[in-house]
Amino acid sequence: MACLTDAPIRYNPAMKKSAAPRRSPKKNNRKGKSARQPWFWRLFFRVFFIGVVLLAGWMVYLDAVVTSRFEGRRFEVPSRVYARPLELYDGASVSSGALQRELELSGYRAGDGSAAGTYRRNGGHFEISTRGFLFTDGLEPRRRLSLNIYADRVQDFRVLSGDNSPIVRLEPAQIGGIYPAHKEDRVLVQLEDVPVLFTDTLLAVEDRNFHDHYGIAPLSIARAMLANIQAGRIVQGGSTLTQQLVKNFFLTREQTLLRKGNEALMSLLLELHYEKDDILETYLNEVYLGQAGTRAIHGFGLASQFYFGESIRDIEPHQVALLVGMVKGPSYYNPRRRTEQALSRRNLVIDVMAETGLIGEQEAARARAQPLDVTDRASYSENRYPAYIDLVRRHLARDYKQEDLQSDGLRIFTTLDPAIQYAAEFSVKDMLGRMEGGSDTTLESALVVTSRDSGEVLALVGGRDPQYAGFNRALDARRPIGSLIKPFTYLTALQQPERYNLITPVEDKGFSLVFDDGRRWEPKNYDGEARGLVPLHEALSHSYNFPAVRVGLDVGIDAVKSTLQGFGVTSGISEYPSMLLGSVAMTPVTVAQIYQGLATSGFNTPLRTIRQVTDAEGEALSRYSLKVDQVADPAAVHLVQYVMQETMQEGTGRSAYRTVPRELTLAGKTGTTDDGRDSWFAGFSGDLLAVSWVGRDDNGPTSLTGATGALPVWSRFMSQVPQHGFSPVVPDGVEYHWVNAAEGALTDEHCENARLVPFITGSEPDAEVSCGGNLERRIRGWFEGLFQ
Amino acid sequence: MKPNTLKYAGVVGLMLGMVGCASGPGGGSIYVPAGSSSSRDEAPEPPQTSGSAEEPRVERKSEQPEEPVREPERSAPSYQDEGDALSPAAKSLIQRADTLMAAGDTQAAVAQLERAQRIAPRSAQVYFKLSEAYVALDQLGSAEQFTLKGLSLAGSDVSLQRSGWMLLADIRRARGNVAGANQAEERAGAL
Repeated sequence: MACLTDAPIRYNPAMKKSAAPRRSPKKNNRKGKSARQPWFWRLFFRVFFIGVVLLAGWMVYLDAVVTSRFEGRRFEVPSRVYARPLELYDGASVSSGALQRELELSGYRAGDGSAAGTYRRNGGHFEISTRGFLFTDGLEPRRRLSLNIYADRVQDFRVLSGDNSPIVRLEPAQIGGIYPAHKEDRVLVQLEDVPVLFTDTLLAVEDRNFHDHYGIAPLSIARAMLANIQAGRIVQGGSTLTQQLVKNFFLTREQTLLRKGNEALMSLLLELHYEKDDILETYLNEVYLGQAGTRAIHGFGLASQFYFGESIRDIEPHQVALLVGMVKGPSYYNPRRRTEQALSRRNLVIDVMAETGLIGEQEAARARAQPLDVTDRASYSENRYPAYIDLVRRHLARDYKQEDLQSDGLRIFTTLDPAIQYAAEFSVKDMLGRMEGGSDTTLESALVVTSRDSGEVLALVGGRDPQYAGFNRALDARRPIGSLIKPFTYLTALQQPERYNLITPVEDKGFSLVFDDGRRWEPKNYDGEARGLVPLHEALSHSYNFPAVRVGLDVGIDAVKSTLQGFGVTSGISEYPSMLLGSVAMTPVTVAQIYQGLATSGFNTPLRTIRQVTDAEGEALSRYSLKVDQVADPAAVHLVQYVMQETMQEGTGRSAYRTVPRELTLAGKTGTTDDGRDSWFAGFSGDLLAVSWVGRDDNGPTSLTGATGALPVWSRFMSQVPQHGFSPVVPDGVEYHWVNAAEGALTDEHCENARLVPFITGSEPDAEVSCGGNLERRIRGWFEGLFQ
Repeated sequence: MKPNTLKYAGVVGLMLGMVGCASGPGGGSIYVPAGSSSSRDEAPEPPQTSGSAEEPRVERKSEQPEEPVREPERSAPSYQDEGDALSPAAKSLIQRADTLMAAGDTQAAVAQLERAQRIAPRSAQVYFKLSEAYVALDQLGSAEQFTLKGLSLAGSDVSLQRSGWMLLADIRRARGNVAGANQAEERAGAL
């Protein structure tokens, strides 16, 4: 290539040194010019011809590269993952702190609350100017809102300007993305979406003759070289936008002559084939403008969101100037790290805008007076909720191919609630630290939080370090569930109201089972004691083992298994009697799934992390709607819910109320496996269902039980979230009666041992006992006959 | 299908007209975590505990609770006779859904109803409206399930119960489940 054209090289002062020695052999050749003329010209033409052929071939090759790459220029646009949009209305439960965090997460700036994307907070009073968002079910237009937060509830909600509505959704915060392997991130823009001021400024600064040149501008190059020579270093680049695009698009970053030559040729070819507007639009989307961790920020569409939290359509002149100025060196002029450099560069661009008449002098002065106006931090980081995104990816994998997710710019609307996720992560971290104390044991944990009635997964913690994107215990740690199985055993029994009710006496007494092959199995109570006959509700709320196995064997392991399957267990369930004490292994997410049915009166509600997936333009591709499926008699489930509340008030879960005030009524169940290898707690309030697990990754023993490991994490979490207590509606066919449980008889409300207990209509005891308990002997005789 | 759809719409519309004053919207009182006060300027951090009473007791081996340190005030498992009434916000979403349904955009109506369900999850009416939408989408299986869910929250509200059982009877009949339909009708009649 270098020998093809002498002339330009001679013009290039930079090449002087290398060009000089070459000339001397040529001079030598001239000496024998007349004698060798025919031979010399033959050689010259041959070389020239070969050169032309090679150049032509090279041009054809470059042309193919340029056209194929540019023709099929389909940017790989990562999919964007959004949190659930926050709904604001009178009565919405949200704390001031959570609202502020939510606003920050969505890239709102503290300000006067009147410019879109800003908010003003004064104690519990907020004024928020939303940016508006196009949801698939309709546009949520820009509005200015005013509200107060009192006792963690929204009050005095008003729309100050914009469409009036008693309920408004904020724009959902972006919580992550699904990126192509090269980690380039961009938001595609079309030329017509970009303000004219923006493109004019860009051209004024980077390439004033863009609309007139053919891809390269020899004059600009010469001018730049002159400037560079005078300065003794590179101070000016003579590249056209087309050349910059070619460089980024097709070539490596190395600075060689060959690359420069290719760049020039390819720029000419690109201009030959394509319209200026095509080239400009591609440039707008290609240009590199910063880095967020391993993620590269490309294109002005994303850069505008990344630095200002604003759409490029809405940015002001001083912001235009900053973005255009950053093209020269996105890291040198990084406005978050190098504010001084960025500010002076921006003001230089503002000068250019004023000189070229793009803005008036007054406007320029106003723009110069503005701060940089960038958001404190990027509106999202790619890896803030790795465990949650992991579950989202698995749900997406059912319907979408990985390569489409990485390149089609889909928008994925999830159910993540950032405030709840925050509380969940904090609880795990805080409580595990306390539990370990000074000991050598390294504990791990998982926490799954769902919305009780919709099955939406609101938060997910896969380990004590929430930023760690490795082993996700919430999804992949399959551990025996221990006593978490007991509610299902008793539910199976209570669905036979003619045989079981909550005060049915069950026997807390040891026994051994001998199998056909001669092996024996002897279940134990945790405290090694046996209490004799106890009412069913107490056996469950105190998690006694003997009655659980006895009742399970009585109703049949098959029946218990089928109850579990109805509630959503899909993996194999052992049919050994030890399954009645929870030898069956499940992941925390599966436990959350099966407890959903217990929490919602027998309606299996499939867990969801995704509400909707749309394409880049906002057209719905898939919806994941709420589904309910009745799998158990609501009346029987109501009885189990009663006992799960009792568990919290009197039973194995009661230490929760050291952390949580009593007015928050809760229901739940502890679970522990042998030697404290697994500590479980599953429970719910009126709004939330949460499952926590604590144990060791190596499955080693711990000193924990469900009540001392998983429960403190669970209750610490519950204590932080504003929510309604659990207070189930009494279903059809259930009646409450005052009973004396020990006597198994109806009694008077004012009697000392009276307890108000729900019964499936007709299953309540016939016998009545007054406060004196004089029917005791008769009742005793009745229930001793039951378990022989 | 069409006449049936109209019939359900009438039933549910009737119900929605009646509600609103049964109990406080939004399910009454809400638990407010300690330390989150509206007057504080900074984002409230989750409460820190320093008292030893709240330390988890790692040394205990038994899953049964130890004898109580202090006898807690007596509280009994909670229940309520009726589900929650609809808040004005939820009502406005249901009205939007009605408009969308009338315009034939049932899918968008479902989206609005799901928003309503999220903010009023313990209100039978929302589920009956979802059922109505699924009838319009000719997904009668889902419609039946949402009716059952609504019925589980109707509690002692006789008119809600009656509307729910009638809705269920119609859906079951449309699905060819005559026995189930008759049973539901009997339930409605017995109220």
